[in-house]
Amino acid sequence: MKKAFTVLLLLAFALVANMSLVTADMHDWWADAAAHYAGATIRGVSESTPPSNYVADVLAAQFTELTGINVEFETTSWDQMYSKAINDMEANTGIYDFVYIEQDIIYSYLAQDYLVNLTQYAADNPDLAYEGYDESAFTSFADYFKNADGDLFGVPMEAFVKVYLYRKDLFEDADIMAAFEEEYGYPLAPAESFDQYADNAAFFTAYGESMDMDLWGTTVQGSTGHPASTYEFLESIGPSFGLYNWGINLETGSAQSANGGALDGETAVEALSFWLSMLPFAPPEATSSTWDEVASSFAAGRAAQGWVYGENAAWIATDESRSAVTGNVGVRLPVTAEGVIDAAMMGDGYIGYYDGGAFGVPHSSRNKEATLLWLQFIGQESVQAEWAAAGARITHTATFDDPLIAEQDAKVDGYYTLLEEQGPLFAGAPPFPFHAQVREVIDPFIQRAILGELTPADALSQAAMAVDEELSRLGYGM
Amino acid sequence: MGEYISQMRNPRTGWLLLSPTLIILIIFGFMPFLYVLVVGFFDWNVFAAEDGMRFNGLGNYRRLVFDDLFLLSVGLTIRFAVFAIVSEVVFGFLLAQMLTRNFPGKSIFRIIHTFPLMIAPIAVGAIWRLLVIPGFGPVPFVLDRWFDFTYQIGTYPDQALATSVIMDVWHWTPFVTLTMLAGLSAIPREPVEQAKVDGANRLQVFWYVTLPFLRPVLLTTVFIRIMDAIRTVDEVWMLAGGGPGTRFTGIYIWRVTSPGASADWGYGSSISLITLYLTIVLCWLLFIAISGRRKGEVE
Repeated sequence: MKKAFTVLLLLAFALVANMSLVTADMHDWWADAAAHYAGATIRGVSESTPPSNYVADVLAAQFTELTGINVEFETTSWDQMYSKAINDMEANTGIYDFVYIEQDIIYSYLAQDYLVNLTQYAADNPDLAYEGYDESAFTSFADYFKNADGDLFGVPMEAFVKVYLYRKDLFEDADIMAAFEEEYGYPLAPAESFDQYADNAAFFTAYGESMDMDLWGTTVQGSTGHPASTYEFLESIGPSFGLYNWGINLETGSAQSANGGALDGETAVEALSFWLSMLPFAPPEATSSTWDEVASSFAAGRAAQGWVYGENAAWIATDESRSAVTGNVGVRLPVTAEGVIDAAMMGDGYIGYYDGGAFGVPHSSRNKEATLLWLQFIGQESVQAEWAAAGARITHTATFDDPLIAEQDAKVDGYYTLLEEQGPLFAGAPPFPFHAQVREVIDPFIQRAILGELTPADALSQAAMAVDEELSRLGYGM
Repeated sequence: MGEYISQMRNPRTGWLLLSPTLIILIIFGFMPFLYVLVVGFFDWNVFAAEDGMRFNGLGNYRRLVFDDLFLLSVGLTIRFAVFAIVSEVVFGFLLAQMLTRNFPGKSIFRIIHTFPLMIAPIAVGAIWRLLVIPGFGPVPFVLDRWFDFTYQIGTYPDQALATSVIMDVWHWTPFVTLTMLAGLSAIPREPVEQAKVDGANRLQVFWYVTLPFLRPVLLTTVFIRIMDAIRTVDEVWMLAGGGPGTRFTGIYIWRVTSPGASADWGYGSSISLITLYLTIVLCWLLFIAISGRRKGEVE
């Protein structure tokens, strides 16, 4: 017994010693690889989101400690991020060494040849290639950032889906359930159809009013001064009704039904009509709400259910300093029309947008080598789990099995499991090299529909015409 | 001494002293202006199928004058500028008049009332957004609970415009007050006292004595404010993103957000130049109106 215990003790000692050596080796590798660049400063820009704030607050400091390379990471508003990155890359000014590439803009950046081929660059600089960094360890989301040869142009930084959140404390309250069933004749439950969603929304809005509570039936990301509203319609509501690729026919380059498009078609009109019909049941801030305000509204307990970006799910469900609904957040797939899930499973469609982005290195960067080290650092497996727990984003397959994520998963009502198992039902944005331009064309029509200045049919008809004009002007259309 | 004075009066010395400023102006003002002027004649969209710049003649300008949203934004900008500047001049003058007199707490008031000037426009926009955002801000809450008034700048364009004007007045009235105060302080006492001796009432003193003396200051102040108001982006953008919809989109906000301008640098340049032209025209019209200059009038 004593002998066995001694052997076990020795084994444990050997294991700890080995781990220490590995850790020391790892430290040495980073320090050696970065020896030429220590003291250099690399600059990056991204949108201020939970995952990017984690990069700025935690990972940048860790990397600097290991390598001596300083990381200046600017987290700003979504539109400023785009403006700054595009202007820098187009003018070749070299202000930024790495930029956030949202999945939907990657096609534009690749078409303009803004980005360094990271796979090739690492192969050309073997001294800088970290063995703990493995491109094949990423989830399939990384495929959106690859070219036809499978070379990577961006290290995935975040990936998440827009889910249906609901307040369990309300949906499971016996009195509320009885009141709902009495009024609608069927049990209260998280919505599985649009009719049920509408009933839930109407019921909780009336309930909030009768109880003098600041409670409404749904969120709506309906800002009338921000593209967030267009995105919610085109990338969340539209696909859940079966409107894909923004209603633009990729072959004919047209959004109009007459030319093979679908932006002004029946499905699109039905989707927009439904979404707009939810406005009376949304909190008053809905017409000023972008994705941030929607998350804040839900976290403040002002909506019983809603469409919320998954990157916010973790903090809404767990962070008591920011959320009033911790412990009461239910997570489900967003509501879809009949046949949409089946089509998604067959690969003929998708139920919503698989959102996220990566960090890429512009050709204009003056510190490509140091930045390559940085991107490998944030792309290695060891930093993923805590990052995923803080930002509800997962880019590595192995992260799903991490104990930390398993623990967090239970607190977020299985969001991470949903991401792993149902993630393939979602899809990234269509491969448009004209993404931003066309979205900006659509914005005013969606916003005018929200304001009631245009009917859904008129708004989409005019939007489709405007899209076709813009595509023609850009050289992509008919 | 005489030689020194003659040397200082030499035009070459004058040019030499001016040269640092002129060089900076040429590099950072005139050359970018020329660049924008040239780019305005090209089709240059970073997301176009065809890469690079292509000569487009007056195509961008033609597109601009037929762009309904641009014309709408011009009208809205003028409305915003008129409401804001008239309010600022009136309030600024009244406050300046008040500050020419002694009253308890005057020095503290003078300091506090200039605080808004010290705040960056983007921060002003953020502060006001927090104040007025429906659901979270105290202003909609108070208006709803106490006056049963629905205040939603994301839904009602007139409310968004009014809020933007009030925000601009809050931010810039102190500037007008300070310039007016300087103007009022510089008015000699004699003409005012003389007018009073001659039996002029307060209104007559203001109209026939104070206002003519204030005219140069007034003109300068209004010019500065017109140029600022037309170029307003940050605070209004921060407040409501230029919305709701297209109903409160000033020229510059439209330039920032319009599909033609944010990535189409040729079109964006043409918008900048037209805006500059409109600003000059507006200032010229105002100059004529305020200074009373007419055709054939001798200065």
